Amino acid sequence: MVQINLEQREITLKIVYYGPALSGKTTNLQVIHQVLDPDSHGRLMVLDTSDDRTLFFDLMPVFFKTQSGFTVKVKIFTVPGQVMHNSTRRVVLQGADGVAFVADSQKSLSKANNESWRDMASNLKMNGLDINEIPMVIQFNKRDLPEVRSDEEIADVARKGKEPVFKAVAIKGQGVMDTLEGILRLTWRSLNSKYGLEEKLQVKENDFISGVLKQSARAGKPTIRQREGDL
Amino acid sequence: MTPATSSSTVDSSVLQKSFTLGELLDLESFREVCESYAGLFQIGFKIFDQSRELLVDVKGSGSDFCAYLFQFPEGKARCTREVSAIRDQEIPGRDPSYHDCFTGLRYAIVPIFHEGDAIGRLVYGPYLPADVAPPDLSFVGERFNPGISSRLLGNVRKVKNDVVVKVIRHLAQTIEVMLYIGYKHALTSRMHVEAVTASYTELQHKNKELKESFERLKELDRLKSNFLATVSHELRTPLTSVIGYSEMLLEGLAGSLTDEQREYIGTIMEKGEQLLGLISGILDFSKIETGTLRLNPAPTNLVEVTRSAVSTVMPLARKQSINIDFFADQKTPTINADSDKIRQVLVNLLGNAVKFNHKEGKITVRVEPVSRPSQTARVGEDLPVALVPATEEFISIAVADTGVGIPADKLERIFDSFYQVDGSSTREYGGTGLGLAITRNLVEAHGGMIEVASEQGKGSTFTVLLPIERAAG
Repeated sequence: MVQINLEQREITLKIVYYGPALSGKTTNLQVIHQVLDPDSHGRLMVLDTSDDRTLFFDLMPVFFKTQSGFTVKVKIFTVPGQVMHNSTRRVVLQGADGVAFVADSQKSLSKANNESWRDMASNLKMNGLDINEIPMVIQFNKRDLPEVRSDEEIADVARKGKEPVFKAVAIKGQGVMDTLEGILRLTWRSLNSKYGLEEKLQVKENDFISGVLKQSARAGKPTIRQREGDL
Repeated sequence: MTPATSSSTVDSSVLQKSFTLGELLDLESFREVCESYAGLFQIGFKIFDQSRELLVDVKGSGSDFCAYLFQFPEGKARCTREVSAIRDQEIPGRDPSYHDCFTGLRYAIVPIFHEGDAIGRLVYGPYLPADVAPPDLSFVGERFNPGISSRLLGNVRKVKNDVVVKVIRHLAQTIEVMLYIGYKHALTSRMHVEAVTASYTELQHKNKELKESFERLKELDRLKSNFLATVSHELRTPLTSVIGYSEMLLEGLAGSLTDEQREYIGTIMEKGEQLLGLISGILDFSKIETGTLRLNPAPTNLVEVTRSAVSTVMPLARKQSINIDFFADQKTPTINADSDKIRQVLVNLLGNAVKFNHKEGKITVRVEPVSRPSQTARVGEDLPVALVPATEEFISIAVADTGVGIPADKLERIFDSFYQVDGSSTREYGGTGLGLAITRNLVEAHGGMIEVASEQGKGSTFTVLLPIERAAG
């Protein structure tokens, strides 16, 4: 849940990257870490096991000061995808303000996507969050692999569903920042309509987005080491 | 949901807790790092957290000089003012701010950041700036000695500003890394505890559900046994009349019968008795299940009981041309037992031996006292082995047949209720599948046990072991 501290003029948002094991949640975060201005984010905390599976979570804090003097912090977490870590996922999901669901585009993994989605729905519920209310985007990752769900199919599901859908090849940095921007915008709108953030903080949606997404001056193509566990 | 307006009221996630500098650092080992830094450059420094609490204070080459001035009242007063000024002074950005002390020494101050927040400050110094001439300090007190003062000042590390900037940048970076490690550690351990707690709660909940459903099943099982007991009891009453009246007809109490009528009524009676046997079996079983079976123990000669059981099945065996050999050890003592129940056990075992035997097969019955090594577990786990006699005395009644035998993997299950080795054997051999379950229960009710050895195709041997209890005292 968003923390607004008016005394210290600080607001903290929590975004969670959810999805099945090995769908590329950590890779998304690694790209974000490389693309954003190093002065506006902390270290990327990756907690994984020797086989590159996320153990507890990954954490990437992003922060900036608004012109009105408010400190805005966005903490981006990933959950461990493996089925056995369910209680950890639930704890990480606690108090999330927005969720980016990273699905694997491979046809053979549709079932894993569905199971992870159901698992997320149940964990949201147990955390007192409503899946119909919480800002949510879906990313279809690994578009570059063979045997993936077709573009038409994804365009079709995007039309039918209410969640904005993004296509990505996270390992090459494609679609990662779009996904992040998507979930940030939805989250901002949702929190603004609930708590009147724009008025309280004197910040417009676009200021918020450009504040968080301030990119490194030395921005180049992100290079991500392919995790061994990935395909 | 309302947003928290003060961070202290929010506990929505352990991951959102903010930490103080002291919480993130292992102060003990951090001080060691600081000492070694101070030793390296001979410049001391202080670290304050955001609430201005002094966490680290390491001395450098300036400490003797400062201590000398501090003994004069005016020096002490000035020094105290300088320290609070340094502690409370606003630092505009990330770059070092400087504070020149009345002594001519200098301090550099940088904020310590964690996740974009200043959570403390590093006060580096005092050091002697290369670009400042030492002021006259005689105002601190009358007994001030410029000679001592300048000798001590000579010991203070003289350093250029750009060197200071490099050193504190390095120091700040070291602190930042230590903070990051501390933060990582704090988060993961919290996370671990949270995840374990969540799993534990879930497990508790599941256990409770399992326990409840187990209790429900136990209750259902009890109801089933009750039902069986009631039904078999109710079935027996009219059946007794069927058998009784058939018998009366056979005895000619209602007039003489033709041979055909006699044969039919004979069949009715025979099948009626068979049915009665089955129902009695179910009744016995359900009584055992519900714990309402009572034994009537009395001094019993098991040789006689066995002989009587053998003679009961003899007619059945003869029909199949099966020969029964009976051996009894005359030293077999009399024991306390319910002779009717033991007889029922033996009739059942003998009945099986006939039923599952081949035509012209053989049955051997042997009654004798035996001694067996004690099984402590059976005696009671609360007893030490030393207190348990090495052997126990039993009367063994063994019934061996030359029949179809039992496959090795089925041996364990044959005493389960309703179990028959081969489902199809129910049709071939009849029975409810309760016989051996009842048999075992009756034997165990006597404190005994039943064993089986079998070789498929060669036959089986069932051995009933009943304990010989020596009268106490």
